Amino acid sequence: MQLRYDVIVVGGGHAGTEAAAAAARLGAKTVLVTPDLTRIAQMSCNPAIGGVAKGTVAREVGALGGVMARATDATRIHFRMLNRSKGPAVWGPRAQCDRARYPVAARRILDGLDDLDLFQEMVTGLLVDDGRVQGVVTRGGIVFEGSAVVVTAGTFLRGRIHVGGSTAHGAGRAGEGPSVDLAEALEERGLEVARFKTGTPPRVDGRSVDFSRCERQDGEDSAFRFCSYSREPLPGQLPCWITWCGAELKRIVTANLSRSALYGGEMSGRGPRYCPSIEDKVVRFPNVARHQIFLEPEGLDTTEIYVNGLSTSLPPEVQLAFLRSIPGLEEARMTKPGYAIEYDYFPPYQLRHTLEVRCIPGLYFAGQINGTTGYEEAAGQGLVAGANAALAVLDRDPFVVERDQGYIGVLIDDLVTKGVDEPYRLFTSRAEFRLLLRQDNGPGRLGTLARSIGLLTGEQESALEERLRDESRAMAWFRSEAMQPERVNPTLEQAGSDPIDRPRRAMDILRRPRVTAEALLRAAGAAAPSFDPDVLATVEIDTKYEGYVRRELERAAKLRTQAEFAIPEDTPFTSFATLSIEARQKLEKIRPRSLAQAGRIPGVSPADLQNLVMEIRRRGNRRTVPGKQSEAPADPTDSAPAA
Amino acid sequence: MLLDTIVAQATAPGFGAIALVRLTGSAARGIAAELTGDAGITTGAWAERAGHLRTLRRPGSGEVLDQALVTVYRAPASYTGEDMVEISTHGGHSIPGNVVAACIALGARRARPGEFTERAYLNGKLDLTQAEAVADLVAARSEKGRTVALHQLERGLGARVAALREDVVGLAALLVQHIDFPEEDDAPTPLGNIAERAGGVARDMGVILATAPSGELLREGAVTVLAGRPNSGKSSLFNALVGQERAIVTDVAGTTRDAIEAVVEVDGFPFRLVDTAGLRGDADTVERLGIEVARRYLAGADVVLHCREAGRAAGKREEEFLASLGSPVIAVRTKWDLAGPGEAPCDGEVVVSVESGEGLAELRSMLRGLVFQGIVENRDEVPVVTNRRQAGLLRVARAEVEAFAEALSAEIPPEVASAHLKSAESALEEILGAIAPDDVLDRVFRDFCIGK
Repeated sequence: MQLRYDVIVVGGGHAGTEAAAAAARLGAKTVLVTPDLTRIAQMSCNPAIGGVAKGTVAREVGALGGVMARATDATRIHFRMLNRSKGPAVWGPRAQCDRARYPVAARRILDGLDDLDLFQEMVTGLLVDDGRVQGVVTRGGIVFEGSAVVVTAGTFLRGRIHVGGSTAHGAGRAGEGPSVDLAEALEERGLEVARFKTGTPPRVDGRSVDFSRCERQDGEDSAFRFCSYSREPLPGQLPCWITWCGAELKRIVTANLSRSALYGGEMSGRGPRYCPSIEDKVVRFPNVARHQIFLEPEGLDTTEIYVNGLSTSLPPEVQLAFLRSIPGLEEARMTKPGYAIEYDYFPPYQLRHTLEVRCIPGLYFAGQINGTTGYEEAAGQGLVAGANAALAVLDRDPFVVERDQGYIGVLIDDLVTKGVDEPYRLFTSRAEFRLLLRQDNGPGRLGTLARSIGLLTGEQESALEERLRDESRAMAWFRSEAMQPERVNPTLEQAGSDPIDRPRRAMDILRRPRVTAEALLRAAGAAAPSFDPDVLATVEIDTKYEGYVRRELERAAKLRTQAEFAIPEDTPFTSFATLSIEARQKLEKIRPRSLAQAGRIPGVSPADLQNLVMEIRRRGNRRTVPGKQSEAPADPTDSAPAA
Repeated sequence: MLLDTIVAQATAPGFGAIALVRLTGSAARGIAAELTGDAGITTGAWAERAGHLRTLRRPGSGEVLDQALVTVYRAPASYTGEDMVEISTHGGHSIPGNVVAACIALGARRARPGEFTERAYLNGKLDLTQAEAVADLVAARSEKGRTVALHQLERGLGARVAALREDVVGLAALLVQHIDFPEEDDAPTPLGNIAERAGGVARDMGVILATAPSGELLREGAVTVLAGRPNSGKSSLFNALVGQERAIVTDVAGTTRDAIEAVVEVDGFPFRLVDTAGLRGDADTVERLGIEVARRYLAGADVVLHCREAGRAAGKREEEFLASLGSPVIAVRTKWDLAGPGEAPCDGEVVVSVESGEGLAELRSMLRGLVFQGIVENRDEVPVVTNRRQAGLLRVARAEVEAFAEALSAEIPPEVASAHLKSAESALEEILGAIAPDDVLDRVFRDFCIGK
């Protein structure tokens, strides 16, 4: 059988889901091919979306019209805003989701897209002709023809699962086979391949847990939603529980260390430092007396509990033994042992910012195949790869999120510029414009961008317009409203702020510490308009920290002038004798598209940058960045790049 | 090839036993091979960083230029980071001149002043503070100035600034713990402690900044202006301090026709001694007061030597004028050998006789103490900020770190306040040249001497 599409998406995880949905929203005839259609957007590890920086990415995906934000809202069973005690610019929304319901919600959203077909099969080969992608072929011999292919293979490429030192088997996820043929097909095309590992903790039956010995943590009673465009009905919430593991667990882990796949020398790839296994924690931090363990519900329809903090590759009997050393889990019955998985990834310096593979036009990679970790990181890449696959097929300009526009931009630029040496996860500190990239203001910075290229559905567009109108209305109200002392002084007193003795503009009062936009609206009385909490957060942060926000905007503008000094595609970096050898090698490997990007490559010094400018000028081949028409500035190095 | 091969005589032109001609660039070894007729230089058969005695011949004619010691450095292990050849020829004007000319005939270009060091910077061999130190070293006006420049070249200042940058990055890292890892086992450092640490970093910056005035003085020399009525012995004192007959000295008032400047070293410290300008007939205020002074120097004077000859009482308006000066003044009673019996110096006055040499040593020591006390006290301890660029950026960095601490105290959230740390970091990086806009480069390389 032969089927023809514009865009073929291989894999149905978080990256594949967003890639397929984005391509379809742009009007490309799209098919998503995956071995198991019941596991669309499956949460293979912790059933939670968000956190600091990651929550902002989930919301960015939503602002760009993606699936993740809506599916999370529809299935969240425990919600908290992390960092609420800190500044609103780094709030991190985090939701536990119902593991079983999330794929259903994602599938429902995909089913609503006219230009998207789903197909259950395992892709085993890539069709390439004359160096360009022409389609894929499946295990059953079905051929999907198309000039753009997005591969989102997750941990499936030559995946190998380890539960204890002696029981390794090929697998993509627990209970699913690996994808070996596709890995080999890609490697044969000359791509560099490397190996990473990651792990999951065991799960237990909630009926066997003594919660009275744990600390209860309730979700926030909040109408917060990740998606800014649609208001999914929110399910009820379940509590999480906190307990601790101590000396006895340490003893058990230490005694059995040689039986761990991670420590027994069975695994070669590197794992994430910020997500250590319990073996790592015990070995590397011997002086820490106890470690926190979060007991997280897996869903509304199950009693299963995810034991967060105990990722391991020890044999099941050891897992059971150390579980039972933990307060509350003395009688625990294990439902699934934890395991470690190692898998292939393709070092992402081989990609363009569109996530197209440089040496195989038409082929795009997104998600864990690029060396990242996390559902949100995968979703953000999937959306960008899918959109660019569609735009290329439709012969339109590429879509690139810049570093000052979104964490998605930071993520992709880091991947293609710096590569990865451990599974890559986002942190706010990876962004140089943290005050601009907030969880509250996605619609303004990315929604408008998505609208301009037609990435939003009609409904999403109207919702975006309403949101932007609300922002201006709220800003106008705070700018013009005169607050009366008798009304606002009780609020000020509560905030520990000096009272006022004559009417003052709401905006001026809002600049004071601890005074919130919401409190001022309440103080203004029944006549005051009401606004969405997101809108208020945007107004509040932009007002309170106006000077700081302006400074970041100015820095971003400076960086843009360097970003506009384009480096031509065919620049022969290795022949530039004025550059250090290290810089030449790095530049040749990464092939930066702009001076700004070149400056972010480790090993490229300011002197190299200066010489690079001179070499490029000398070749007289200056062009502009694809999709940008601005002339390169006379002296791009005049403005210091953001560090 | 963008950076061509350049050549210059690295030693000062003139008579000397040897002269050094330096070649740098990708053609350096090729040119040297032709000069010596020894292809081993290019093939790598030669030991690097070792002298090889060779006969140099003029290209074409084959005429012998000199017997010279030729040393090869291979990129990047050279001063400039490029392939480099140093040729030690016999001294004088004509031999090194001919060798340079021969190199030019073989395709090299005559180097601009400072170009070797510029290349070293561009090739990442020196940071900006080191490159500046080379310029200072070459132009050093005194032994102490040289010491400071050498210290800086050894990365004294650069290392300190790099350490400060690490401190700033460390502060940012503490904030990251707050922001990115809210649910960890280890509680983050309290914000109050972070603000306190920031205060410490700002103070460290202040310690280095405090050396800026003296650093600048060491580089430029302390401007020392002689002031006093006509015929008060200024020019004689000037000559005595300079140590040779430089100013015209006569008994006729007003023979000094213009400001005269000389750089003198006093106990290793540099002073720019400025003698009175010919201000006769100039009807400005100072002149009406009867006090000659090189007015255009007065505003920038680091110290004023006020001369009054023995036997003359100070006028009231003269004293008023002295009191009005912003700079420290040393009162000097000149011509003490002519002092009448019973004449006594006033408090704090130095008595000097150029004829007998009396009081000159005391005056020198007062000068040194007054201007360079800070450096005398803690020399070698603190790296010295020697120019305005470094001082300006260090001030920016300190202000940003202080603003950061204040912002935390004013309950500005950490992720917002951290913007100040980013700015401080950029300023420190700019001192090191980690990020160097073109105009900084221009400023740094403007005053370069030939060779290094």
